[in-house]
Amino acid sequence: MMKTKWYFFILIIIIVSVLLNIYINHREDSPTKIGVIMMGNSRVEKLTGLKKGIRELGYKEDAIEFDVKNAMDNEKTLQEKIDELIKEKPALIVTMGGVETLALKEKMEEQKTKIPVVFAGVAAPKEIGLIKDYRSPGGLFTGINNYHTSLAGKRLELLHQLVPSAKRFFVLYDKKIKVSVLSLENTIDAAKSLDLPIIPVNVSDPKFTEFLSENLQKNDSLLMVPGFRMESLTEKIANIIIENKIPAMGVYGNEVEEGILASYGSSFEEQGYQAARYVSRILQGNSPADLPVELPDSIHFFINTKVKDELAIELNSEITNLAEFIKPVREGAK
Amino acid sequence: MDGKIRNWLSSQPIRIKVLVFGIIMSIIPLLLTSYYYYSNVKADLENRILANQKLVLQNLSSEIELEFNQTFRQLQMATTLKQQGKQQSIFYDLLQQNESFEEIVITDDAGYIQKKVSRYNLNIPLQNEKWFSDSFWSDFQSKSKTFGKVEFNQFGQPIVKVMIPFIEDGKQKGIGAIIQLQKIIGKISSLRQEDSSYLYLLDKDGKVIAHQDYSQLWKKHPSPADRDVIGVQTKINDLGWTLVMEQPASTAYEPINHMFRNGLYVAAIATIIVSLISVYAGLYFTTPIIYLEKGMNNLKTGKKPAPILLNRQDELGKLAEAFNEMSRELQEKSLRLEQEKERLSVVVAGIEAGLALVTKDYKVTWMNPLLQIWLHNQDVHLPCFTLLGGKKEACEDCPITCPELDANGNSIMKTKGENGEERIFNHRVFPLNHAMNGEGEFLIVIEDITEQKQMEEKMIQTDKLTALGLMASSFAHEVNNPLATINVFAEDLIDRLEQKDTELDDEEMALYLAKIKENTERCKRITSNLLNFSRKSNWTVTHIDVNETITNSIHLVESTLKNKQIKLTTELPYDLPVLLGDSLKMMQVIVNLINNAIDAMEKAGQLMITAKVEHNSVIIQVIDDGCGIAPEVLSKIFDPFYTTKPVGKGTGLGLSVCYGIIEEFGGTIQIDSIEASGTTVTVRIPIRKS
Repeated sequence: MMKTKWYFFILIIIIVSVLLNIYINHREDSPTKIGVIMMGNSRVEKLTGLKKGIRELGYKEDAIEFDVKNAMDNEKTLQEKIDELIKEKPALIVTMGGVETLALKEKMEEQKTKIPVVFAGVAAPKEIGLIKDYRSPGGLFTGINNYHTSLAGKRLELLHQLVPSAKRFFVLYDKKIKVSVLSLENTIDAAKSLDLPIIPVNVSDPKFTEFLSENLQKNDSLLMVPGFRMESLTEKIANIIIENKIPAMGVYGNEVEEGILASYGSSFEEQGYQAARYVSRILQGNSPADLPVELPDSIHFFINTKVKDELAIELNSEITNLAEFIKPVREGAK
Repeated sequence: MDGKIRNWLSSQPIRIKVLVFGIIMSIIPLLLTSYYYYSNVKADLENRILANQKLVLQNLSSEIELEFNQTFRQLQMATTLKQQGKQQSIFYDLLQQNESFEEIVITDDAGYIQKKVSRYNLNIPLQNEKWFSDSFWSDFQSKSKTFGKVEFNQFGQPIVKVMIPFIEDGKQKGIGAIIQLQKIIGKISSLRQEDSSYLYLLDKDGKVIAHQDYSQLWKKHPSPADRDVIGVQTKINDLGWTLVMEQPASTAYEPINHMFRNGLYVAAIATIIVSLISVYAGLYFTTPIIYLEKGMNNLKTGKKPAPILLNRQDELGKLAEAFNEMSRELQEKSLRLEQEKERLSVVVAGIEAGLALVTKDYKVTWMNPLLQIWLHNQDVHLPCFTLLGGKKEACEDCPITCPELDANGNSIMKTKGENGEERIFNHRVFPLNHAMNGEGEFLIVIEDITEQKQMEEKMIQTDKLTALGLMASSFAHEVNNPLATINVFAEDLIDRLEQKDTELDDEEMALYLAKIKENTERCKRITSNLLNFSRKSNWTVTHIDVNETITNSIHLVESTLKNKQIKLTTELPYDLPVLLGDSLKMMQVIVNLINNAIDAMEKAGQLMITAKVEHNSVIIQVIDDGCGIAPEVLSKIFDPFYTTKPVGKGTGLGLSVCYGIIEEFGGTIQIDSIEASGTTVTVRIPIRKS
C-alpha cells in the first residue's frame, strides 16, 4: 500500500514536470492567417502592394500567412471563394475591390460572421453602404476609399484642361455597378460646374461600342468611370479611341498602359500597400469600427505618350507638369 | 509569530524538520540568485528599451520635420516662380512633387482665395471662399511660416494648413497648402512595434493626433502617470507636436518576468524533488528512531519489545543493536529482580526479626508485618526512638545520630509483652547506601532474644551451681575450721565456767568471746560469699571495683588452692578504674578461670592473677603453669558443653558462659596456651563512663 502511494506520488511529480516543461517551451507564436479575396488577376497588384506594406511595417514573413482566394473574374466563383474563406476563419480579411467587399459583406451578414475586413481600395464606401462614417466606420469594415467616384468630376476637369480641343465628353459607366452610377452622377455635377457637355454611355449595354462608333466625332473625348467591368473592357475601349482618334481618360495606370491616353487615380499596388497599415492596426488590437477610412496616399496622373502621338493632339503643357508619362506595354493595342 | 513557528517546529517529528530544512535549503539559494539576476537584468533591459525608443523617435521626428521643411521650401520656391508667370504649371508641379499636398491656394491680402489647385476637387474657388481661421490669420500676420491646427476634411481625413506670406503689388498675400496627415499618422499608428510598444503624436494642444490605439485618437494626452509605462518623448520643433513612444512596464519586463516565472517553475520542481529527497532522507534517518521510540514505549509499559532489525551498519544500526542488547539485558535483570523481590518478600515475611526503614530524621517509613505485630500496630509516624525504644530523645550510640560510629548500634531493648511479661529485643541499625532520600536511609533489625537471654541465664546459673558443687567440700572444710575453733573455745569456756575457774577473769572471757566472734564472722563471710555467688540474678549494672571482685573470687577458691598447695600471687594495682556492669557475673568469670587453672594444675602449681589498665581497657589475666591446652582443642574451647575434664568434673559450660558474659561487658576473652607449659587467659573490658 505504502509503495503504491509512493509510485503514485512520483508519477504525479513526473506528469507535473512534463506539463510545466511543455507550458514553458510552448511559447512560439503561430503565424497570423490573413484572408485575401480578389475578383480576378487584375487585382494581383494590390496583393503585391499589401505584402510589401506588411513587410515594410516590420512584420516578418513567417509572422503572417496569406490565404489568397481568386475568383478569376467569375461572380459565382467569388461566392464560393468567400464561403471557403469564411470557413477558414482568418484573423482578418482583405478585400481587393468594391465587388468583393460587397459580396463578402452580404455573406458575412448571412452567416453572422464577425471577422474584421479591410478593403484595399473601394470607391465611395459610405455611399455603397460599407461604412457608416469615414471617421468612425462603426462596423467590421474599414480600409481605403480610393476616391475614384469623387475623382470622376476631377477627371473631367483634367481631361478638359489636358485636351482643350475636346468639346464633347462621352462618359463610359456601368449601369449595373453602383459605384459606376455614383461616379456618373459626380461627373454630371462637375460638368455643370465646368459648363461642359457630357454624354453618358452604359457599358453594360452590349451595343455601347456600336453607339460610340456611330456617334463619336472630331473633338469628342471619352471619360471612363470606375466599375470592375470597365477594367476588363479596357482593351476594347483602347481600340475604339485609336480607331476614332479621340482622347480618353481612365482611372488606373494599367489602363494607360493598355492604350488609354491618360488616367487619374491611385494605383492598385499603392492601395494594397496602404491597406497594409489597416492590417497592422487591427492586428495590434484596434477595432475596424474605430479606424477612419483613408483616402489614397497618392493620386497618379498618367499620360501615354505613344497614344498622344497616335492621336496627334495638342496637350496643355501646364497641366502635364502633374503627369507621369508612360509607354504602353502592349504593342498590339491599336 | 516567530514563537508560534518555533513552537510548531519544535512539536513536529524529526522527519518534518528534515523536510522543512531541505526545502528551505533548496529554495533560499535559488530565490536569492534569481532575485540578484532579476534586479540586474531588469535595469539593463530598461536602458535598452529606452535607447531603442529614443532611436525610433529620433528617426520619426526627423522625418516629420524634414517633410514640413521641404513643404515650406517648395512653397517658398513657388512664390518665386509665380512672379515669373508660371502659376498654373507651378501648382501642378507642386502637387506632383509632394503627395501630401491636397490643395494649393493663393490668398489675397484679405485672406480670400484667389487661385486654387486641388488634387481631388475642381479648381474652382467658391464665391468669397475664406481659407483662414481667426487664429491662423492672426499668426499669419506676424510669422514667416504659419501652421494651422489639425482638422478634418470632408472625408474625415486629418489635415493641417500651412502658409507663407509673399508681397505682390505691395500687398501681403499668401501661398498655402492643405497637407494630408494620414501618411504620417498612418505610419506612426501602424508601424509594428515589438512587445506592445506604441507610438502616439500629440499636437500643440496636447490632443492625440496619431495613436496606435485608435480609440485614443483626438482625445487629450493620455496620462502616462496613471499607468506604469517606460517611455520617451521628443518635441517636433515649429509644429509644436510631441512624439511619444511608450511601453507598458508589464510587457517591457515580460522577458525577465517570463524568465523569473520559469525560474519559479524550476524552483517548484526543484522543491518537489528536494521534498521527495527530504522525505526519503527524513524517513531514512527517522524510521530507526521511531522503531527505537516504540521499543522504548514498550519497555516503559512493561511489554516485551520485538527486536529492531535494521540492515545497516551505521550509527543508527549500532544503536538498534545496542537497544536490542539492552532490552534483552533489561528483561533478564527485571526477571532476576522479580525473583530477588519474591525471595526478599518471603524472607521479610518469614524472618523471625522485626525490620524497619528509618530516615535520617528518625521517621519510620516501613515495617515488616512481624514488627507491626510486636509494636501492636502503633502509629508509625512516631520517631523510631519513641516507637521502638520508648525514649524521648534519640539514642547517642545510634548510627543515625552518630554516622561516624562504626558499630551498628547493637543494643538491647526491653518491652512489655501482651501479657505483661518482659520481652528482650536486640536492636541493630544498618545504614543503606543506595536508599532514596526520605524513603528510609537506615534499616533497623530487631530480634526477640528473650528466650535466648533466658537460656543464657540458665546456663550461667547452671555453671555457677556446678562450680559451687565442685567447690562444696572446700567450702565445708573452710567453714569447719572456724566452727571447730569456736567449738574448742566454747567448750573450754563452758568447762572453766562450770569449774568456776577463778582465773577466768573478764579479760580472759573477753578473749574467748572475741575468738568465737572472729571465727563466727569468718564463717559468716564464707557463707555470705557463697550465698552471694550462688544467687541467681539478672544482669544488674553497678560500679565494679575490680580488685574487690578479684579478691572475693579468690576467697571462694582459697581453700581449694590451699588443698592443692597452689601458690597464688596477685598483682592488683590499687588505682584500677571502676567498671560498669554486673560484678557477680564478673566474679563468676574469674572464679571459672581460677577453677580451670586449678584443674590444669595437679598440685603445687603457680597461679598468678593480674589486673592492669591498657588502651582504655582493664586487662585481667589469669596465668597458670598447668598442663596447658592442646592446639586442636583451643579452637573449640568456647563451644558450649565442650570439655576435656573427666566426667563429674565439668559441664563444658564454663568458658562458654565466660565468653557470653565478657561479650555482655563489650569486652574480649583470649586464651594463649602452650601445652605442658601453662595457660594465660586475658580478659579485656572497655572502660565506660557512667
